[in-house]
Amino acid sequence: MSVRVGTPMLPVYTLGPKSVVWWGMIGLIAIEIVVFSGLIAMYFWLRLVNPSWPPEGIDTKGLLIPTINTLVLIASAVAMVVAKRAIVRGNQRVLKLGQMVAIALGMVFLVLKYIEYSGYGYDWTTHAYGSITWTITGFHTAHVISVVTKGLVVLTMALRGMFRPDRHLAFEVSTLYWVFVVVIWIPLYFTMYISPRL
Amino acid sequence: MTQHDEAQQVHHHYGPQHSTPREGPPDPELLERTWRPLPGIVGFFTVVNYSTVGMRFIVTGFIFLLLGGVQALIMRTQLAQPNLDVVSAELFQQLFSTHGVTMMFFFAVPMFEGLAMYLVPLMIGARDMAMPRLGALGYWLYLIAGITLFVGFILGVGPDAGWFAHAPLSSETTFTPKLGMDIWVTAIGLLEISALLAAVEIIVTIFKCKAPGMSMARMPIFVWAALVMSFMMLFAMPAVLLATVAVGLDRMVGTHFFNAAMGGDPTLYQHVFWFFGHPEVYIIFTPALGVVSAALVTFARRPMVAYSIVALSFVAMGILSFGVWVHHFFAIGIPPIGLSFFAAASMMVSIPSGIQLAAFIGTVWTGRVVLNTSFLFLIGFVVIFVMGGVTGVMLAAVPFNWQVHDSYFVVAHLHYVLIGGALFPLFAGLFYWFPKFTGKLLNERLGRWQFGIMFVGFNVTFFVQHILGLQGMARRIHTYDADLGWGTFNLISTIGSYVLAFGILLFVVNFVWSLRSGRDAGIDPWKAPTLEWSVPSPPPQYTFVEPPVIRSLYPLWDPGESPSGVETAADRGVALRPQIREDYRETFGTSIMDGEPESRINLRDNSIWPVLASLAIGIAFVGAMFSLWFFPIGAVLFFLTMLGWHWPFSKEVAS
Repeated sequence: MSVRVGTPMLPVYTLGPKSVVWWGMIGLIAIEIVVFSGLIAMYFWLRLVNPSWPPEGIDTKGLLIPTINTLVLIASAVAMVVAKRAIVRGNQRVLKLGQMVAIALGMVFLVLKYIEYSGYGYDWTTHAYGSITWTITGFHTAHVISVVTKGLVVLTMALRGMFRPDRHLAFEVSTLYWVFVVVIWIPLYFTMYISPRL
Repeated sequence: MTQHDEAQQVHHHYGPQHSTPREGPPDPELLERTWRPLPGIVGFFTVVNYSTVGMRFIVTGFIFLLLGGVQALIMRTQLAQPNLDVVSAELFQQLFSTHGVTMMFFFAVPMFEGLAMYLVPLMIGARDMAMPRLGALGYWLYLIAGITLFVGFILGVGPDAGWFAHAPLSSETTFTPKLGMDIWVTAIGLLEISALLAAVEIIVTIFKCKAPGMSMARMPIFVWAALVMSFMMLFAMPAVLLATVAVGLDRMVGTHFFNAAMGGDPTLYQHVFWFFGHPEVYIIFTPALGVVSAALVTFARRPMVAYSIVALSFVAMGILSFGVWVHHFFAIGIPPIGLSFFAAASMMVSIPSGIQLAAFIGTVWTGRVVLNTSFLFLIGFVVIFVMGGVTGVMLAAVPFNWQVHDSYFVVAHLHYVLIGGALFPLFAGLFYWFPKFTGKLLNERLGRWQFGIMFVGFNVTFFVQHILGLQGMARRIHTYDADLGWGTFNLISTIGSYVLAFGILLFVVNFVWSLRSGRDAGIDPWKAPTLEWSVPSPPPQYTFVEPPVIRSLYPLWDPGESPSGVETAADRGVALRPQIREDYRETFGTSIMDGEPESRINLRDNSIWPVLASLAIGIAFVGAMFSLWFFPIGAVLFFLTMLGWHWPFSKEVAS
């Protein structure tokens, strides 16, 4: 086997499954899916061992704010995906706009979450029901806070024009994680708000 | 920032996107400069190279083995005769809890992580792990966790609810008022994060950094084992993280996950913990089997019998081990359908191990065996592990299980499985790879004595514990009355434990002596088949002068050749090899299945941020024992260290 003339250069900057950073993010997401699955399993286990769920004396959660909030969160993921597709086409304006909208929607989610939870007359010490719902919510909210914070960093990079159609790994993995945080909320929403009504 | 500056910054991080391939032969001196750690104390904290980090895991793990061993000796001394009072009942509680935590979490798991970290890049022909800084972060977290555990133990507040810390004993401060269980939560929590980081790092490295031509079907069995171990950690460790966090929340902020009076459920803890706990056994055992496979092939001087079936049985074992966790608490009242399912699954999980053992025996049978110390430990492994496996099948039978639950029969079983299945293979591996790690051969004569003494000591210690268990001696008791008639067997067991400890002491002596005045090993003292034996001992920081390409399963026995007229991934690797730069830390990026060269991976170099990030996480976890405010403080510090870690961000800019 002789060395061919004009062998193409291997790229040093890669995106998607060719990049180790992308795989690292997939690894983190896999870990977190297991954690959230465990929390959901714990929720249903506690429901099974309790005669009434939610227990007597604890108000059933209202559906209005959380449902709106779920839609807000889904919209933020859509904004991220739109921004990601924009940068692939080289559209810097939509990239910046999409990231800003996603951050704003993430913040709206956090505010609505605060309003919702400050309206409940129970906390994690009241009953195992409170323990598991506050823990799931707290854990997921921490994720939203972290993606919003990370979004601000990525936005700074976007504003400084650091992303290019062929160079936006940071934005790509950031979008991946953002979409994960949103998608994982949907089963949590059904677990905590819909399943007790079924 | 001008275009020129941006181009400079890109250059700084990646090298020019379109550099020219190297002309002429490789330049080891340039590689040496590129891969050199920083000098002095700064270098100590900033080094990220796989061989240094992997060796730190191995050495630290070995120190924890010695510490846990000393604890075991103290316990055996206390139990040597009826009604002794060598240590108080309270200290005894902390001893067996810390012993279990140390051996399971701080010795076995990090030790095999370290072996995998050290050996995987060598075996797959990469210059480093895919994410070197992540490995360094994992090590520092492990160190902080271990120090926390032992500082607590020395201050008299070691964990005191057993290594698996069943709730509500562990979760209610009225039952365990001391700081010990908070330390358990902190230490295990930090260790889990460390293990998860290592798992992701090993998986990504095996997926993306194999040498050109190394398809999945050409990976050494040890690499398969490391891959399965890492996937198991990925799916099992989050469960124990949940269990520890829930215990921590119950203790520190007043939740009621495991408090039956407030709607919680103690059995929930057992399910969440043991969903991790059983795979944990296989997380330890799988890489140990990988070590066995590697040494066995070399010393039987023939390829592994049924390579692909053995590789697949690792995968099967990994999956099945997630279906058996309930057999750890058959005694709490499980519905019959559950009992049947988990009993059947527990028996089924012995099938892949049986396949592997059959393949091992077949390999030895048809090979030309080199009977050295390493091989003796392999024999020891087979004998002891089969004994442990037989008692394991006995324990999977529910009626028998109920009779011996929480007795010394279980203690004997788990030590047969873990010492037979992990410690003996580990010594086989240490004798096998010590020459590669250090450039010196371990002393064979001392090694044979060590094996003989350990084998006898182990069996004397633990075989009689089967009988003690059948006679009704419960595990974890502090002492017992003379008229129970357990004194003789306990004395035998204690004597055996001192013999076993003497065997391990011999290894320490051998280690120190051989390091100073052992025979030079050279590159390949065993005439072994895998890539790690093609580089100097110890391997240079850049590992391979010329990135290797792979055309067969055992490249050093059979270089293999490409079918005529067909250009394979290995051929393309040869053509692309001069592109891998020597003035930057670069290695081949290849496709997962076929090892097809895809990219040059630019590896991150020395950095202070891993140690700082580990301190931020440490502040959050250790501080949370005293005030929950440390958690947000740690989170903010961690965010800042992450900014530093990725700084400067200009690498995204196109030149």
